[in-house]
Amino acid sequence: MAGNRTMAGKAVSRAPRDTAHEGFLTHGRMRWAKVAATLSLLSILVYAALDPQPRANGGTAYGYVLGTVGAVMIGWLSVIGLRKRIITQRPYSLKAWTSAHVYLGLSLIVIGTLHAGFQLGWNIHSLAYVLMMIVILSGIYGVVVYARLPAQLSANRNEATQPQMLEAIRTLDRQLDTAAQPLGKAEADLVRLSLEECEVAGGLWQRLTARHPNCGNARARDAVQTLVRGQMQTGKPNPALTQILFLLERKDAALAQARRHIRLKTSLEIWLYLHVPMTIALLVALVAHILSVFLYW
Amino acid sequence: MSFIIRQIAKRADGGDIIRTRTLAAAEIIVGRGTDCDIQLADLGIMLRHARLTRLPGGMVAVEATGGIPLEIDGKFVNRADLRVAELPAINLASHRLSLSPGETPDSVAITAERVIAASDAADAGAEVAIFSLRGAVPNRRILAWALAVLVLVGGLLAPVLTMAGRDTALPEAMVAEAARPAAAKPRLQPALASPAVGAAAPMQPDIVWTSGPLSSAHAGLSNSCGACHQTAFEATPDTACTACHKPAVLPDHAAADRLNTGRPAPQGVQMAVASLQHGLGLEAGRCASCHKEHEGPDGALMVSGRFCADCHDGLSARLTNTTLKNVESWDKHPQFSPTVISRTTGPKPLFERVSLDEAPRERSGLIYPHDLHLSTTNSVANMVRQQKLPAQDGALGCAYCHTADSDGVRFKPIEMEPHCSACHDLGFARDGGVVRTLPHGKPNQVAGIIRDFYVAQSLSPRADVGRLVADRKRPGITEPLGRFTLAEARIRADAAIDQVFEKQGLCADCHETQSNGAANAAMRWQVATVQLTNHYLPKGQFPHKQHDSYKGKTGEAACIACHTGVTRSKAATDVLLPKVAQCRDCHGSTNARTAVAATCDTCHGYHGPGSAPAALPAKTPVKLSWAGPRPHGVTKVIIDNKR
Repeated sequence: MAGNRTMAGKAVSRAPRDTAHEGFLTHGRMRWAKVAATLSLLSILVYAALDPQPRANGGTAYGYVLGTVGAVMIGWLSVIGLRKRIITQRPYSLKAWTSAHVYLGLSLIVIGTLHAGFQLGWNIHSLAYVLMMIVILSGIYGVVVYARLPAQLSANRNEATQPQMLEAIRTLDRQLDTAAQPLGKAEADLVRLSLEECEVAGGLWQRLTARHPNCGNARARDAVQTLVRGQMQTGKPNPALTQILFLLERKDAALAQARRHIRLKTSLEIWLYLHVPMTIALLVALVAHILSVFLYW
Repeated sequence: MSFIIRQIAKRADGGDIIRTRTLAAAEIIVGRGTDCDIQLADLGIMLRHARLTRLPGGMVAVEATGGIPLEIDGKFVNRADLRVAELPAINLASHRLSLSPGETPDSVAITAERVIAASDAADAGAEVAIFSLRGAVPNRRILAWALAVLVLVGGLLAPVLTMAGRDTALPEAMVAEAARPAAAKPRLQPALASPAVGAAAPMQPDIVWTSGPLSSAHAGLSNSCGACHQTAFEATPDTACTACHKPAVLPDHAAADRLNTGRPAPQGVQMAVASLQHGLGLEAGRCASCHKEHEGPDGALMVSGRFCADCHDGLSARLTNTTLKNVESWDKHPQFSPTVISRTTGPKPLFERVSLDEAPRERSGLIYPHDLHLSTTNSVANMVRQQKLPAQDGALGCAYCHTADSDGVRFKPIEMEPHCSACHDLGFARDGGVVRTLPHGKPNQVAGIIRDFYVAQSLSPRADVGRLVADRKRPGITEPLGRFTLAEARIRADAAIDQVFEKQGLCADCHETQSNGAANAAMRWQVATVQLTNHYLPKGQFPHKQHDSYKGKTGEAACIACHTGVTRSKAATDVLLPKVAQCRDCHGSTNARTAVAATCDTCHGYHGPGSAPAALPAKTPVKLSWAGPRPHGVTKVIIDNKR
């Protein structure tokens, strides 16, 4: 079978990428990846070489150094929100900035953890650390989805725009509405399920999973299908009902496409809802962390 | 009789399309069906939903025909008579029928329009709401603000206000505890570690600033940050510590100037670290330089050996007049130099520290061959059996004389009465069934007692009185005295006195005695001062109790496993301490099975001479002391640990 499929389909290869295009991950022959790796490795080596007493934490001399470096980095990393809004006149690269943002942000895992000396507690210091880790992890997620999902998004869209997807559903709704006019109450109510109890997007969880177990359209389709099958066993099914089943099935496919689109788009967006507010919270926690250390010096 | 029907439809641009027609009928049907007079394309409406009938007097009868009640004036009814002049309205699913008098007196106008928009209303916001997360979660900006305010209030504002408004009173129980002499308290009392002190006050907001739990001794201060963090932006001052830990109870390691001289100047990176710390107000030599708080239950006392070696490595080069040896690390710890009494003559003993490598000799003034007393085959062993003394494997055990003190760290002083007298009973004569004994520790009383004994015998001789022979070959044998004159009694008595004191005599069994050749026998003999050391290494502590098993041996065998020379020692001058290499068997060993701690504070204390090591239960500080000579010659000198 596998052979047949190969025979049947044309050999599909991706369109050759524009060789001039270089993503932010590989920008400048991964210059910032190298800088970040060096910084991390250096931090680890120095940490391993030192033997602070009674134990490693942010209060040792090296702890102060790591803390200062980390705080400056956090400040710089959070500036990308402002930087990306500035259209520069001269050829400064936002791509380079993004590349540095990603890789230096990753090295902050090492620097922050070493600064904390692997100690956590219920306090403002650990809160800053945890917020930082949430920001970084959500950022890692963001990089991963940015690298993987746009292709899926594009494949799913199949040249259709978002308004077109919605319009397809609305058109089907109108057709359903029209087709149902001659039907009796029971059948009309089934169509109303599809028209009135069918959300395209839904709540956050539904958007993330694209699962709508109570979708009115699916319920209507199942019920109408049962009716039509019943009628087929006894004789000729009601043509209006058959037409409606056809419309419901088409709407199902249109909904599935739109919902996949929403799932992918939600995945692409959701991390920013953590990344950005948590960054703001982190900046406040960082100020509180630093101030508190010196207040209770 | 006619109905004027106006059906209003919405145009795509929002405008209305009104279609008007007149039906000359007394009765019309409203519904979704194509045969209805008013057809409403609304799936919520039945095929034949309602019937409107003209009645006389400007009335219209409305009747639900589809089985679904009609909504009129907010009520659901199956049938109603409506006065047209009152402009009634009938709601049918998404549509409304409004009745009004027609332009001609005989007609009724019915306006039918959709009042609830169809679900597919295509507004511009729908796309954004459906395809972007903005439709499902709160705005990022609101989230950010909410989180920021939460962290700001909980993490900064509330603690700052608490800090500013606090008036710290130290817990009285803790202050009293810290002021008590070290001797009286076990280390880190659990009572203080319990939250009892801190629990009284509710949790303070600035607890979120803690960098870790306090040590168990300071746990009571968990809610009183200001007790130590007295001034904002200023490092915890030593005065915060000495407020409870008075220097009289917890003295400093050495005089401040000596500490400063002994401390090496930072080099290289350390110089940068030192200047960084100086810039941050963290000067070297503060209490908190060593005692790092907020490091968990053992934190404040968790002091590394490195802190000691910082100064003691190469100390003599900086502190040129020190008598201490340089210590680089435990591996290079100098050989133990016990403090021994090197001279017994004179009123005060001379203490001297001699390395175990230089075979120190202890001038205790006592004669005590350990080998003889630990034998399993000789007369001592026989005596142990005869006397039913507590024996260990057929010998007089170590524990017969060396009994642990209450802390199990060292041993109680050895006394003649409990430890020697079972065998060395000082009996010199037998009087009938009674053994006459000489008093211990009162040599100048001895002569008188012996003289009185002989005089009494010469004046009133009794047959059953005899001298006990001090000959070791025949112990316990009585030599009959016979009859003799008073003059003979004096000569015999003097001979007996000499016999008691000279070599092989009763006293000289254990004591060094010396004759000064005086004519009067009572003035002739000197017994050497007995001075027993009970702490050879007063700068450290060795908790014997924690070492009662060693290399699989327990009890006496464990003692001898370290104090190896004991069974061969023939002289009391032997200092039978194990050498430092013996400790390294386990301490700092690389063998995982036997390896135990080998930090400085395993054995040594820091605060003041002889203070207890942090790793040990607090022990009375050791003080070199001398009790002074006793009035009757035998002097007991101990290096005392009792103040």
